[in-house]
Amino acid sequence: MRLLTSIALLAVIPALLSAARTHETNPMSSPEDFEEGRRLYRINCGVCHGMEGKTGRGARLARRSYRHGNSDAALFDLIEAGVPGTDMPGLWLEEDDIWRILLFVRTFAEKASEVCNASGDVAAGKRVFDSQGSCLACHTVGPRGGRLGPDMSFAGVQYTDQQLRDALLEPSREVTGRYETVRLVTAEGERVEGVVMNENSYNIFVMDRSENIRSFRKAELQSLDLPEESLMPAYGDLLSTADLENLIAYLCSLHGPAEEVAQ
Amino acid sequence: MKVLLLRRMLLSALLCAAGAAGEVTYQDLLDDPDVASDWLNYHGGYAGHRHSLLDEVNRSNVESLRLQWAFQERIEEKFEVTPLVHDGIMYITVPPGDVYALDAETGARLWRYSRRMPAKLIACCGLVNRGLAILGDRLFMATLDAYTIALDRKTGRLLWETKLIDYSLGYSGTLAPLVVKDMVMVGTAGGEYGIRGFIDAFDVETGERRWRFYTIPGPGEFGNDTWSGDSWKTGGASIWITPSYDPELNLVYWGVGNPGPDWNGDVRLGDNLFSDSVVALDADTGKRKWHFQFTPHDVHDWDATQVMVLIDREYRGVERKLLVTANRNGFIYMLDRETGEFLKATQFVKQTWAVGISEEGRPIRRPGMEPSAEGIEVFPAVAGGTNWMSPAYSPDTGLLYVSCREGSSTYYKGETEYRPGTRYWGSLFVNEATMDKWYGAVRAFHPVTAEKVWEHNLFRPVWAGLLSTAGGLVFAGGSGGFFKALDSESGEELWRINLGASILASPMTYEINGRQLVVVASGGGLFVFALP
Ligand code: HEC
Ligand code: HEC
Repeated sequence: MRLLTSIALLAVIPALLSAARTHETNPMSSPEDFEEGRRLYRINCGVCHGMEGKTGRGARLARRSYRHGNSDAALFDLIEAGVPGTDMPGLWLEEDDIWRILLFVRTFAEKASEVCNASGDVAAGKRVFDSQGSCLACHTVGPRGGRLGPDMSFAGVQYTDQQLRDALLEPSREVTGRYETVRLVTAEGERVEGVVMNENSYNIFVMDRSENIRSFRKAELQSLDLPEESLMPAYGDLLSTADLENLIAYLCSLHGPAEEVAQ
Repeated sequence: MKVLLLRRMLLSALLCAAGAAGEVTYQDLLDDPDVASDWLNYHGGYAGHRHSLLDEVNRSNVESLRLQWAFQERIEEKFEVTPLVHDGIMYITVPPGDVYALDAETGARLWRYSRRMPAKLIACCGLVNRGLAILGDRLFMATLDAYTIALDRKTGRLLWETKLIDYSLGYSGTLAPLVVKDMVMVGTAGGEYGIRGFIDAFDVETGERRWRFYTIPGPGEFGNDTWSGDSWKTGGASIWITPSYDPELNLVYWGVGNPGPDWNGDVRLGDNLFSDSVVALDADTGKRKWHFQFTPHDVHDWDATQVMVLIDREYRGVERKLLVTANRNGFIYMLDRETGEFLKATQFVKQTWAVGISEEGRPIRRPGMEPSAEGIEVFPAVAGGTNWMSPAYSPDTGLLYVSCREGSSTYYKGETEYRPGTRYWGSLFVNEATMDKWYGAVRAFHPVTAEKVWEHNLFRPVWAGLLSTAGGLVFAGGSGGFFKALDSESGEELWRINLGASILASPMTYEINGRQLVVVASGGGLFVFALP
């Protein structure tokens, strides 16, 4: 009897962990499913990813390969579970409805080629990124680079060429969250400039120009300035048009580690 | 003008690249126990002492210890982490697959890495992780989906990930890895799923594997004949606790988990090496220098995944390099850690399965104590006389402190069949009949004589580890949620606080801006204490 209770208890655990998905590949295919998928996408996903999967505050979905996996099963699981620690929420819908959404999402890939396109020379662009433009001082590509700006390893799947052009010419127009610029002067008169890592009522946490993570008590500072401008310089005056185009071509070619693209 | 600016930017780029400030070196790891402000390894040092030289908080003032800050998350799993602290930043793992960097002074979050996990992770005893390892500007984690990953310590960015093996076969990573020289070492959990355990070492830079050691030898290798038939392929022998390391001998001491199926040994006749053993591996090659098996042919689930405490002391008039460990099977063992020679074993909780331990260190079994279809009551209970929670060793008092569990289980034996990724147990244990009588205690032992010097009763059985400090204190936790400071010489309680949820982790301590902080995880929170 007691034995039975124990067994019953143990049996509950796997049931709780199991996912709702019963197919490995998308079982939906009819035009009606597709239309329903579009409708559900508009309601649940459009705000973040845009109706063409190109814009918004989510990842760009109009691309040939996804960072979190390309198989139907992987995308299903992702849409169902969301991406913890990011804005991407999990979705509590019936299995069939998630497959319908995916049917619609899959059409974005067709438009993928138009979105990060540049006529420049990739190899020349890499040289600009690594040395001439000092991009590598603040951005990583793969294992190399600095930490002040966002990772560029996936630039080619994350941005359109237009977004890249805008970022280079007018970096301060839209400063990416988590990379807010801060300038402060400590009680001892030390000037510190960097990006904000976190802030609360009493403290501010900064990655300074030398990539040290430092904390300051706000009350003890001589001054604290959070200018609405990027730490990144505007490159319109610093690089030639040809260099910029080469740079953008290079960035468009970055699709993350080779095996992720190959998936 | 343009050129000048670019030059200056280039210069700053070079400066960035050279900016090694705050990087943890291997020397730092060797010095960890002596540099009291940081905590750079799961045990607070390679020797597994979990002892800190900090003494700001001490016997005379500990009663005014109070909460400094807390970290809370919606953690539905057991929160078993020991944080690392370096350069003013605390690094923790949060189940199932998150890593946080926190400002060590205020608890403010600096970054978070979140690993997307497969929907069906497989772990017998909760989706847990116990912490990280650090070297250079990198943090290392063993993940529940059986990868080893490296993160940038300043941003949390994933630098590399190396797959250990297919997690869906029942493998997982739960331990805090160990860094030695330029290698990061992990082992795989999953002893309840018919795995074949192993230990891997990876290059910290690239994530490439340097060596692998199977905790169950393959055909033709020493010890393979201690498994009948093909049972070596599914014999368990998992690894889920950070090993200790002796830099002089260059040996890493791994406590190995139980053989599987747990409670039915009929399909795996023989001693089942290296289950329930300590294996001493050469750090550079992964080759076994020696091994010692605590429980040959175990049928009670007595993993030897307890902390191996490395002590240099006199034994029988000779100064020796010792390894002391309180084992789940109810005995404290003392070995020579250079050779693996068995020196001594002493019972430290009630046990009824062995009459004693032979001269060679083999248990002399009491007949009729194996699990049976009808069930048999055996002491200690299935969780053992102690378990994975850390003991502590104080060089000041010379005492070994152990979280002890007293009680019995009824062990049943049943049929079992191996199916990949499913439980491979051979029936089970039942605690209902015996649980009422269980209790837990912190005990202080003289490590050489194993004589009990004091005991502090915690009433309920313990899952919390211990921390010893130069302030003459032993910090302990109870399953009832009490976190306590005990006098390291007498066991007398000097301070306690109710944290409101079970403590299932081992405490640690660090210093920031000249203040000592003491940390323990409880429930879904991390609680950090300091003097006013
Ligand atoms: C609140 C904003 C938000 C909503 C709503 C949202 N997403 Fe996302 N989504 C994100 C963000 C942000 C990411 C990037 C996560 C990361 O960093 O990994 C993302 C990532 C993804 C990815 C992975 C991209 C990759 O490269 O791997 C897919 C696919 C996706 N979303 C699909 C959807 C679908 C389908 C829906 C609707 C059911 C949806 N998302 C709703 C914000 C959102
Ligand atoms: C001094 C550091 C610094 C340098 C040098 C720098 N960046 Fe940036 N970059 C940043 C920071 C900080 C951000 C984030 C704030 C923002 O959106 O402007 C950023 C943002 C970006 C973005 C937009 C990212 C997004 O998610 O919106 C792109 C693209 C970019 N940088 C590319 C480059 C390239 C290419 C170069 C070299 C020509 C370069 N950066 C040089 C610091 C730098």
